[in-house]
Amino acid sequence: MENMVNYDPSFAEEVFRDVDAGDEIKMCMNCGVCAGSCPLREHMDYPPRQIFGLIRAGKREEVLSSKAIMLCTSCYTCVVKCPRNIPVMDVMHGLAHYALKQGYVPRKDTASFGKEFWKQVYRLGRIDEKDLPRRVFFSGGLVEGIKAMLNFMDIGLRLMLHHRMKLLPERKIKGVKSLQKMLDKAEGLGKGGAAA
Amino acid sequence: MADVQTTNQSILVVGGGMSGITAALEAAEAGYDVVLVEKNPYLGGRVTQLYQYFPKLCPPNCGLEINFRRMRQNPKIRFFTMAEVAGISGQEGDYDVTIKLSPRYVNEKCTCCGKCAEVCEVEIDNPFNYGMDKIKAAYLPHEFAFPMRYVLDPCLVGTDEGKKCLEACEYGAVDLDMEEATFDLRVGAIVWAAGWDPYDAAKVDYYGYGEYENVITNVMMERLASPNGPTEGKIVRPSDGKEVKNIAFIQCAGSRDENYLPYCSGICCLASLKQTTYVRELYPDCDVTVFFIDIRALDRLEDFYTKVQEDEKVTFIKSKIANITEDEDTGDLLLEGENTRTGEQILMNFDLVVLATGMVPNGIQVDGAPEVPCDEYGFLVNDPEKTGIYGVGCVRRPTDVASSVQDATAGALKAIQSIARR
Ligand SMILES: Cc1cc2nc3c(=O)[nH]c(=O)nc-3n(C[C@H](O)[C@H](O)[C@H](O)COP(=O)(O)OP(=O)(O)OC[C@H]3O[C@@H](n4cnc5c(N)ncnc54)[C@H](O)[C@@H]3O)c2cc1C
Ligand code: SF4
Ligand code: SF4
Ligand code: SF4
Ligand code: SF4
Repeated sequence: MENMVNYDPSFAEEVFRDVDAGDEIKMCMNCGVCAGSCPLREHMDYPPRQIFGLIRAGKREEVLSSKAIMLCTSCYTCVVKCPRNIPVMDVMHGLAHYALKQGYVPRKDTASFGKEFWKQVYRLGRIDEKDLPRRVFFSGGLVEGIKAMLNFMDIGLRLMLHHRMKLLPERKIKGVKSLQKMLDKAEGLGKGGAAA
Repeated sequence: MADVQTTNQSILVVGGGMSGITAALEAAEAGYDVVLVEKNPYLGGRVTQLYQYFPKLCPPNCGLEINFRRMRQNPKIRFFTMAEVAGISGQEGDYDVTIKLSPRYVNEKCTCCGKCAEVCEVEIDNPFNYGMDKIKAAYLPHEFAFPMRYVLDPCLVGTDEGKKCLEACEYGAVDLDMEEATFDLRVGAIVWAAGWDPYDAAKVDYYGYGEYENVITNVMMERLASPNGPTEGKIVRPSDGKEVKNIAFIQCAGSRDENYLPYCSGICCLASLKQTTYVRELYPDCDVTVFFIDIRALDRLEDFYTKVQEDEKVTFIKSKIANITEDEDTGDLLLEGENTRTGEQILMNFDLVVLATGMVPNGIQVDGAPEVPCDEYGFLVNDPEKTGIYGVGCVRRPTDVASSVQDATAGALKAIQSIARR
């Protein structure tokens, strides 16, 4: 019995029960398509398939503190390609949300981006392509802010050239109050955004 | 043609592949009158297009030839090529069937002298080689064709080229006035053995089949390896004709995927293992990599897998490939995925990629035919409550020749019982 590994199913059960879309991973056949096609795979500590494997292996700490679950950008590639029709992205978001509720804190830049993004959507009903990065860049102080700005100047200029970024500040959308009510309600239901 | 006398003691077999031929022979050798209809201009089905059979790696023509001899010796079997079922009515023990014959434009006087093909200058895509080469529009479907008789493509009718073929034939075998014909049959039972079609690999768009020339399918690979195929048995890249040095097989290309074919096609693992041996025999320096979810080599077929694994030029990587991109300058292909044993990212280049595509059943598509139960994927199900029409072979499940033959023998017995019950 030397080779026996003791798996602890309690974390998997917790995920199936308490994480949004968590029970979907029961269908995973471990094929690796999600991990092989995620555009952020190089930046993830564990690409989606490995996250699911870790859940089954009972590695609670590794999963909930992983960088990967916070990095998912909702590009949908994995959802479109998964041969078992698993909404991989929803599971990743479910896990991120669950981790935050459990008191896990994402990396500083991920957290500040999420917070600013959320605040802006709440206030304006849309994202201001200049204002958001500016706030994120300067969240770490003046010097870091200037450095980051210089880094991204090239992209910014090109965006402006292609009319993808306006010079004037974005205005609120019509009916932003109704949107805020919807967001409040969603938050009340426990389905809130990254800043939950 | 239409002088076929049948009664409600006769059996109709639809499809002249290994399954249909077996069912027809078994029933005829048990003393029943059988009519076999086959859509192609020749019998044998998909098996005729294979280079070798697993697991023994013998050429499929020996087995087929034995069956054709049995057919020739048995007056109880009548068979029709270029024939399809246009209508079925009635019930177990008493069916009326309408058969549609497409014109071949060549009659039984053909000696296969080849003169018509010599003079014909029109070429068509060669269906036997999945369109990988061209063939004259007056052609013999393949060198072992049974019946051994030429075919004229309908595009020749009413043209000067057609006339040239007619005039070239010294035996009065070309008949451009042939028309589509139908005739009716009365039978007591029907065996449906219409087999399978390869899954359309272009649907899995991230593999680039149809767009990247050097991405081919497993059925094409069988033709490339065949001495009577488009390259006379050389396994070369379609883009530049170079012999392969580094080839990848992608398993489950479309199969076991809810977006495409949700089921396992059963034979494509063995087909790729077999094709690996084609490559390795021909090119001792060629590297082969097989990407798989898991290898399904059941029962004694596992020995074949073990043998291929022993070849040090063959690597097995557990990964379903997630994307292919082509290098436009070289025609090489970049495969991306995750090695699910090590967790490493895969970024590997190959000069030829073979997609192990699956099988789609040819169900009963005849307007107004009595209902025969199917499963959710279109495979026929033999329901003991609904007897009289029986699916056999790959229309029932994706499987190899040995299992198809067993299933067809069982189907022949069921058809005989349908008649005996009356
Ligand atoms: C790449 C590849 C490699 C393979 N290699 C092997 C191998 O090495 N060994 C092995 O055992 N198996 C192999 N197989 C499986 C093998 O091809 C099948 O088991 C076999 O073809 C099944 O025979 P069948 O008669 O059921 O179907 P088919 O061979 O498909 O025959 C069906 C026949 O019915 C005809 N037909 C279709 N529709 C109609 C209609 N409406 N009316 C009249 N006729 C119709 C068709 O033209 C065809 O002639 C391989 C499969 C693939 C994909
Ligand atoms: S693509 Fe789907 S089935 Fe495959 S490993 Fe990812 S989640 Fe699992
Ligand atoms: S949706 Fe998220 S996990 Fe899925 S491929 Fe995109 S970034 Fe990766
Ligand atoms: S059709 Fe006539 S010319 Fe053509 S191969 Fe047959 S016998 Fe020869
Ligand atoms: S036989 Fe092998 S390649 Fe074919 S679908 Fe099944 S597992 Fe995939």
